[in-house]
Amino acid sequence: MQGFDCQNVLSRRARSFKLSPIQQLSLLAQRCNAINLAEGFPDFPAPLHIKEAAVAAITADFNQYRHVQGVCEKVASAFEMAHGVKVDPATEVTLCCGQSEALAAAILAVVEANDEVVILEPAYDTYEACTILAGGKPVFVSLDPPFWSLDLKKLDAAIGPKTKAVIINSPHNPTGKVFSKVELADITNLCCKHGCLAITDEVYEHITFDDVKHVSLASFPGMKERTIVTSSLSKTFGVTGWRIGWAIAPSALTSAIQIIHTKLTDSAPAPFQEAALTALQSCPDFYKSLKQEYQFRRDYIEYVMEAINTLGIAFVPGCAFFNKSGAEENLKFHVSTDLAKKGLQMPRNLKGSNDASENLVSNPYKHRYIRVAFCKDISTLQAAKLALRRQCK
Amino acid sequence: MASSTEGAPQTVASDGKSNGVAVETPPTLQVSKRLEKFQTSIFTQTTGLAIKYQALNLGQGFPDFDGPDFIKEAAIEAIKTVGKNQYARGYGIPDLNRAIAARFKKDSGLDVDPETEVTVTTGCTEALSATMLGLLNPGDEVILFAPFFDVYEQLLAMVGATIKFVTLRPPDFSVPEKELREAFSSKTRAILVNTPHNPTGKVFSRKELELIASLCIKNNALAFTDEVYSKLIFRGEHISIATLDGMYERTVTMNSMAKTFSLTGWKVGWAIAPPQLSWGLRIAHSNLTFSTSTPLQWGAVAALQAPDAYYVDLAQNYKRRKDYLVENLSSIGFKVYEPHGTYFVMADHTPFGFDDDTAFVGHLIKNVGVAAIPPSGFYENASDGKHLVRFAFCKDDETLRKAVERMKIHLKPTSLKSTNDSAN
Repeated sequence: MQGFDCQNVLSRRARSFKLSPIQQLSLLAQRCNAINLAEGFPDFPAPLHIKEAAVAAITADFNQYRHVQGVCEKVASAFEMAHGVKVDPATEVTLCCGQSEALAAAILAVVEANDEVVILEPAYDTYEACTILAGGKPVFVSLDPPFWSLDLKKLDAAIGPKTKAVIINSPHNPTGKVFSKVELADITNLCCKHGCLAITDEVYEHITFDDVKHVSLASFPGMKERTIVTSSLSKTFGVTGWRIGWAIAPSALTSAIQIIHTKLTDSAPAPFQEAALTALQSCPDFYKSLKQEYQFRRDYIEYVMEAINTLGIAFVPGCAFFNKSGAEENLKFHVSTDLAKKGLQMPRNLKGSNDASENLVSNPYKHRYIRVAFCKDISTLQAAKLALRRQCK
Repeated sequence: MASSTEGAPQTVASDGKSNGVAVETPPTLQVSKRLEKFQTSIFTQTTGLAIKYQALNLGQGFPDFDGPDFIKEAAIEAIKTVGKNQYARGYGIPDLNRAIAARFKKDSGLDVDPETEVTVTTGCTEALSATMLGLLNPGDEVILFAPFFDVYEQLLAMVGATIKFVTLRPPDFSVPEKELREAFSSKTRAILVNTPHNPTGKVFSRKELELIASLCIKNNALAFTDEVYSKLIFRGEHISIATLDGMYERTVTMNSMAKTFSLTGWKVGWAIAPPQLSWGLRIAHSNLTFSTSTPLQWGAVAALQAPDAYYVDLAQNYKRRKDYLVENLSSIGFKVYEPHGTYFVMADHTPFGFDDDTAFVGHLIKNVGVAAIPPSGFYENASDGKHLVRFAFCKDDETLRKAVERMKIHLKPTSLKSTNDSAN
């Protein structure tokens, strides 16, 4: 009997991909009994009122295919309140299975074969992967350490006639950077000048520190009509496993995103759509204490990371969960393997091109950084501190 | 993408306010060509009309009754447990992968490795989209049986595949061997088989599956199967083509909780495939949705441990509804093609004197107060389906009874009348 020829079984799109190392590290952490500061999800409970809403939805039989338009309405009004941009919930919001799917649907909706998509590095790995899935070509522009600043000339040079979109993740994973108004204004100028779209990932929108405010690129003049904003419940409400997210975009793009979404997954989980209504009604105090809680953890982890930071440079992130610390390059392997064993993760996807040597020249810093998540219970962070001190003395 | 826009580029001052220059015209919003074939789904349209005219909805295929309590309780328990509201492992929580493998072994006799051969997805829909994105290239030829669930055609168009249609025809919608052989060639990359079959209610027989298998093997093609109705069988048995000789290594077998457990909104599905095929669909899946809802996966673990009695009851309850609807549709005047599985039945509406299915369904909704689906959109050639209509019987007894009553009163066969009514 003819054996199955599995040589070329993967699609061309899929061939270049590796599975994300984040989850590999979590498995390694589990095996070594390490403290997991790698994956970006909380180890403390989700807010009670939201969980109760989900339980109530399941009990009340909200369990068949549903589209809860009320969530679109709340997303639209929250966006208007935060950024002063009017959004029509009937035509400009798509509910998706997490921000992950919102982004995938957005990219599949607008990126054509051979279109270029500009991605700022270091970047969450799905931006590149979704671009390739859509047949597009990722073009990388590096943010410059230690403050992860954006070199406008580099960005301007990277955007060209083939550029369909620029992806802007702010607040930024993995660096914790919050793009300033000046930077966003500059990006606005470039997008308008080049006539390209912007796709934003704003999942950490409510987690900023030190009175730094998150501003959406879509709020800049000329941007609403060319921007797809993506976000979700996951980080704000500590429910990364619920898979409720959304895309906000002008109506022509929204109807495209909506159509793609219905082909990819059909709909977001019904009971959690219901619970989203409750979540998105949370009072201002909720968001205030969210920031405070994370800021406390941020300050704590800074203190912890100083212990292993031999260069003495500790960049204070403006926001989000992550903390990139500088570490001696020649300690790279020692640090990375060992810290991996302690559940600390190396930055992923800092590659900007297929040429590894070019990479090292243009991005000599990439191996010197690790990303640490501090969306963890204080007891977890305390245990990490003790483990690190033992290791690094 | 057009890069030039009319007017001078606007400069934005650093405080985000316009410096007074007029805002340029918005960009040409160019959406991808992959959307060309898409329109609002017929299901959405029909449900919209049903609501507008307060018709009883025997159109869209979801139950108006809910899933079992023990499953809901398991999901609720998970929501209340720290950790179980966070990201699940991308390809599924280990307990669910194991439960899926165990259930598949029970149903098919095949041993599969839960770690490398089972992938949990956001419903069977995402199993399909991930499979296609992960394993199909633009220009690949894929064979699709018509009538087909419309999402298949749209997904295949989305990935740029070339579709070869093979049409199943009444009265028994059997696989036309000659047509199938002609559709296959060395260029065939895959065939998509939905069994039990929506919308016809057909259950592919062993002989038909063996024919398909022999052609897959001969042409080195893959098989993608959608088996979501596998537990809703009234006649014959459900066979997974993966169990036939030479097929497991080239098949992606897909299923979900939705229809079996009446929880269509939970979106927990899965794909079972050998490691190399699983790899491809996992890659796509991890970039489409990253992971599937964690608490609802825990619900699925409980669901898949349901005793045999649950499945027996399920099939019996659906059979009872099927018998009721088929009998009554016949007495009302439809020519009914009795389904062997699923919760759909196709019927010929010609006796009622309408030109096509859209016109008939329009009349049915507005003047009779019952919604059903016009299936011509599920065919390569709409004319193949224009005499037919699809009813769903995943509805509680009262809904079915009322629908039958309305049709008995308001729907009369006519051999002569040609209506001026046109459905919108």
